[in-house]
Amino acid sequence: MKITRREFLPVGAVGLLGGYAAWQGAKTRPKTKTAAGSSPVAVIKAASYSDDLERRIRDGIRECDLDVRGLKVLLKPNLVEFDPNTCINTDVSVVAAALNVFRSLGAAEVRIGEGPGHRRDTYAIAEMARYRSEIPDFDNIFVDLNRDDVSPLQGFADRGEIYLPNTALRADLIVSLAKMKTHHWAGATLSMKNFFGVVPGSIYGWPKNELHHVGIPQSIVELTRIFRGSFAIVDGIVGMEGNGPIQGTPKSAGVLVMGGDLPAVDATCCRIMGIDPTKVEYLAMASDKLGITEESRIEQRGEQIRTVRTNFNLIEKFHQLRLA
Amino acid sequence: MAVSYLGVRLDRLRQAQNGDGGWSYFPGKQSWLEPTFYAALALHGDPAADRAWDLLRSWQRPDGSWHPSADVQIANWGTSLCVTLAHIRGEFGEPFRKGVANLLDTSGEESKFVNRAAAKLGILETQRDFSLKAWPWKPNTSSWVEPTVHALVALKKASAQVSSADLRERVRIGEAQLMNVRCSSGGWNYGDPAVLHVELPAYPETTGLALVGLQGHKDLGKSLDLASRWLKETKSPLAGAWVTIALRLHGADVPESAVTEVSADRMILALEALAAPEGNHHLLKTEAA
Repeated sequence: MKITRREFLPVGAVGLLGGYAAWQGAKTRPKTKTAAGSSPVAVIKAASYSDDLERRIRDGIRECDLDVRGLKVLLKPNLVEFDPNTCINTDVSVVAAALNVFRSLGAAEVRIGEGPGHRRDTYAIAEMARYRSEIPDFDNIFVDLNRDDVSPLQGFADRGEIYLPNTALRADLIVSLAKMKTHHWAGATLSMKNFFGVVPGSIYGWPKNELHHVGIPQSIVELTRIFRGSFAIVDGIVGMEGNGPIQGTPKSAGVLVMGGDLPAVDATCCRIMGIDPTKVEYLAMASDKLGITEESRIEQRGEQIRTVRTNFNLIEKFHQLRLA
Repeated sequence: MAVSYLGVRLDRLRQAQNGDGGWSYFPGKQSWLEPTFYAALALHGDPAADRAWDLLRSWQRPDGSWHPSADVQIANWGTSLCVTLAHIRGEFGEPFRKGVANLLDTSGEESKFVNRAAAKLGILETQRDFSLKAWPWKPNTSSWVEPTVHALVALKKASAQVSSADLRERVRIGEAQLMNVRCSSGGWNYGDPAVLHVELPAYPETTGLALVGLQGHKDLGKSLDLASRWLKETKSPLAGAWVTIALRLHGADVPESAVTEVSADRMILALEALAAPEGNHHLLKTEAA
């Protein structure tokens, strides 16, 4: 079996598992009201970006009983790079709608932050993705997480510590506004993988190669642990299939998937995409430690998975991920 | 108050200098090595640049590397920037020599024996030539285009003071590595021309940077043509500045930028000042090592 450079290099990541027993959230963050042993995940239909997305997002938040009154909220979209021929980024209409909804629900402050992994001019990508033109006052509410001031956090896989942006560390609630995409290294990129954008390029570079050397699944899990207590809204109105996360093709799934248990949200997204979440390495690692991935223990609210499931094409190396 | 494209940017940089002598990336933030380096280059000869160097000098680590801010105690690619700045300032003492030695000791993880062997045996899938040593963003990670460019500029400059076969060899191999990761379009992205045998696109900013690192290298016609085209097309001020700097260093006649917006991003502000026709881009000029 051939393995890739990114899979091969992180030989030091094996020490990660030893730290699982001591897992705890980085700080106290609001929790959605969750029945014992289960997690609510809302699947809300949205046929297109011209739908009433504010209402859809409000419906999903209500289904998950999230209370954001008085909180400092950071919206973390997936803004990677721009290609007019495909759909790499969280659509601007979803970001704009989320901004309005969290403000209207009484959040004390709502900011948007992202640190793209490949391109250095974050504002230029935001311009091309129409964030700057369609989100009022964008430049004043946006933080380039690649170049924010930072603080160290102890205990990140085998590396001991990691520096993370103060804007993210000081937020009361981070909303992972992810895109529903396949991923050529991880299988799928959803709300958990979206945290890669929080790691500052000013220290770790472009790409954030430190995370590849630690191990992509391990890094996804570690970042999800650090930002435990976040909320997820996954833009699956039009996702990406095939050779994601950059060079795949658009795939309409017509849904927004939301919840406060990120592994449960991502597992649900996988099932909608026709991917078996138990075979996605980072979800297997996170299962029962950071959240629930078992279908029977996820409280499905809104649409049922079987009514919205649409198989995303998978590249050959991930054919074995296909859900039966 | 200055009204010229360059003067406005230099004035803005002077006003934005932090009390410790450095510059932040954005207003109201702490000083970082990278914007401080570019601002110090743009203002070279100005007392503000001397204060910047005093700060950066204090950030050198015992092993000769530099850390990127007062609060971040790990080494990264800023070492190359500080070696370059020391050279430009004519500071050839111990900090400079230790910085050069540190760069010569640093290489991407992919060029370690175990990874080269794995690539050779076909158990490690890559389109890159792992025998070509280059430089990572931070130690213990793989090499990429931008940190390699900065190390090449630093070492080519340093070659006049540090006569070493090792240095000349690292420059030769570093340049070869950049050529190895060039995309089929003639440009560069962050450093992978293909993933899983699918070609990746090049970016204007990294193409500009690579051309800065490859000054004096042959076979760059296609890349320079692409850079010239991108100069007209790019919507990124950062990319525009790097492409302009590269074209000027390669002898092209580039008109002054038509950008009127003065960026709040201090690094872009400094790069635009460097890229101006009368700006200090010539400080990044290198000769063959």
